[in-house]
Amino acid sequence: MNPRPSFRLDLRRARGPSRYGLSVLVCIATTLIAKPLSPHVDPVNLAMLFLLGVFVVALRLGWGPALLASFLSVAVFDFFLVPPHLSFAVADAQHLITFVVMLTVALITSHLVARLGRQTEEALERESRTRALYEMARELAGTVALAQVAEITEGFLGQVPGVSSRLLLPDPAGELHTPEADGSAIGDMSPGRQAYALGEPVEVSIPIEGKVRIYLPLAAPGRAPAGVLEVIVDAATLQRERPLLHAVAPLAAIAVERLRYAEAAKATQVQVEGERLRNSVLSSLSHDLRTPLTALVGLADTLVIAGDALPPTHRETSQALKEQAVKLAGTVHNLLDLARLNAGRVGLRKEWQPLEEVVGAAIKLLRSALAQHLLTVELDPDLPLLEFDALLIERVIGNLLENAGKHTPPGTAIAITAHRDGHQAIVSVCDHGPGFPVGGELLAPFDHGETPTGKRGIGLGLAICKAIVEAHGGRLTLDNPSEGGGCARFSLPLGSPPAIEEETGEEAP
Amino acid sequence: MSTILLVEDDPQIRRFVRIALQGEGCAVREAGSVAGGLAATRDHQPDLLILDLGLPDGDGLELIANLRPWADAPILVLSARSLETDKVTALDRGADDYLAKPFGVAELLARVRALLRRRSARELSGPQLSFGEVVVDLARRTVVRAGEGVHLTPIEYRLLTLFLSQPDRVLTQRQILREVWGPGHSDSSHYLRVYVGRLRHKLEIDPTQPRHLITETGVGYRFVF
Repeated sequence: MNPRPSFRLDLRRARGPSRYGLSVLVCIATTLIAKPLSPHVDPVNLAMLFLLGVFVVALRLGWGPALLASFLSVAVFDFFLVPPHLSFAVADAQHLITFVVMLTVALITSHLVARLGRQTEEALERESRTRALYEMARELAGTVALAQVAEITEGFLGQVPGVSSRLLLPDPAGELHTPEADGSAIGDMSPGRQAYALGEPVEVSIPIEGKVRIYLPLAAPGRAPAGVLEVIVDAATLQRERPLLHAVAPLAAIAVERLRYAEAAKATQVQVEGERLRNSVLSSLSHDLRTPLTALVGLADTLVIAGDALPPTHRETSQALKEQAVKLAGTVHNLLDLARLNAGRVGLRKEWQPLEEVVGAAIKLLRSALAQHLLTVELDPDLPLLEFDALLIERVIGNLLENAGKHTPPGTAIAITAHRDGHQAIVSVCDHGPGFPVGGELLAPFDHGETPTGKRGIGLGLAICKAIVEAHGGRLTLDNPSEGGGCARFSLPLGSPPAIEEETGEEAP
Repeated sequence: MSTILLVEDDPQIRRFVRIALQGEGCAVREAGSVAGGLAATRDHQPDLLILDLGLPDGDGLELIANLRPWADAPILVLSARSLETDKVTALDRGADDYLAKPFGVAELLARVRALLRRRSARELSGPQLSFGEVVVDLARRTVVRAGEGVHLTPIEYRLLTLFLSQPDRVLTQRQILREVWGPGHSDSSHYLRVYVGRLRHKLEIDPTQPRHLITETGVGYRFVF
């Protein structure tokens, strides 16, 4: 395919004085044919030849030359072919009738034929214009850059004499520019902005030059404008070409929109690819870390179980080995989850559910770690269903419980409570230990805070809690109540839970 | 003596699982790939499969789908805890239980024993079943807790009998919703959670720390006598 616009816009009929010359030539030719025949043929029949000439002129050259040919034919016919020859005098009065009829028929014929010709020409012109628009649409469909759309649109309109145009597209800030790399906004942009904002054409006349600047919003039907087409056109041409301009603008609009969508789709695809890569790195890392850890925990456990056959020191060593392996597994688990959370959209699997269930699940996971503590649970029975990712909130509660269990003496109480506070639910895990370091400031991951006793570390586990809670639109706070101990609280927004339809049929049992 | 097929590609994990199972008096066969697992299932007709989901030549899920049509031995899936969608898929495709990595020997043996026991005695033991303070009479459709009758709605009762018929087994949310609410309700998981909560309040001693209606977070529920 030709890379340049291949359409041709032949809008003008052949004009100019040459047509009248041609018209005269036709009359001369007719005379030359008729003259040798005149001795043998009645002059009335020769008049028919002249009518034929007028007909051809009207058909080919239009109304003006046909008018000329009509009068000229009558004159030449009279002068050369009607006796007395080579004189305008008429010997036989009946020839006057011939002249009148001949002239009338010639005039009517030329008028009708010329009108027909004009209509045909207009139809052809319309067709060629439609074809040109179609060609332009086809070329626009193949564009891959906005600059190409501008080039094709401006090239197309540039073929119409007296018309020049620019495609103006908004940048991310909403300012209109030409789409070239160094696209600049030249001249007064306010009518363009107005057309863009309103979605309606705006016209500004430049009386000195006899031109009109017209701004057409690039809007596919029923859509917001994607930009503006600026056309500078002679006032006279505008009257004629207005439909063309209004046909071109939506075509350019569709092309611009298509490219914009393609751009957006591409950006999304890049993001999805990036996330997929990150997830695949994380999941293979997870596999590579977890497999040896599973073996380590299992093998150490095997040693512990076989402990009776081992000397006491080895028995203790194997027990310690297992405990450390389990601890390491927990740390790796936290680390991987934090990496996943920090990698962007975690893909929260949020579902509506009662808080009670996830609290129970977290307690069950930590039952052995909390065996030495007195655990109390007090959940407000009026708490509605909450929307959260059960696995992640289970991790939050589990980490908070584990943290409390690790840093408080055996035999002390740990209390889980939950209540409603305005538009959120507050869940607290409170203990009777040394409290949190520095008045509830959450430390960055891997930072271990030091209390006066030097024992309590908050780090990875709480950092994950914070990330998870914030991903749910809540907040995690730590504080040390005046009566002692430490309280970790997190909030979850209430939202509007789905209704539960009650059963209607009351049957046994 | 039960034969157990262990499909796992890591030799060290295989080793400790084998030692643990042999200590229980089971015969252990091993395979390290999907293809090997399929062949070994055909050749040895094991009573139980222990299956790692991440295998070098394919996905453990594929193996489950391939052998379920002709092998009915219970399948215990080994999987990382954070990959709960894999576990749910495995269970929905016909696996019977799962164990999150890393796991201890005691946990492993408890699951294996429960699965083997269920294989040998599939039928309910009689019209009366009891757990905790609760006695359920399936013939009379009555539920008694600590000597007092408990009123259950029809859905609560259907849910309870489903759990009673599949003890020790993880039922995915989708499986339970389909059984109790019908096939059109697989997205109404909040209904399931609300009804399980109500059952716990009626039947468990401490509904915040249930002993029988156990939550398998992200997967479903497990009933334990």
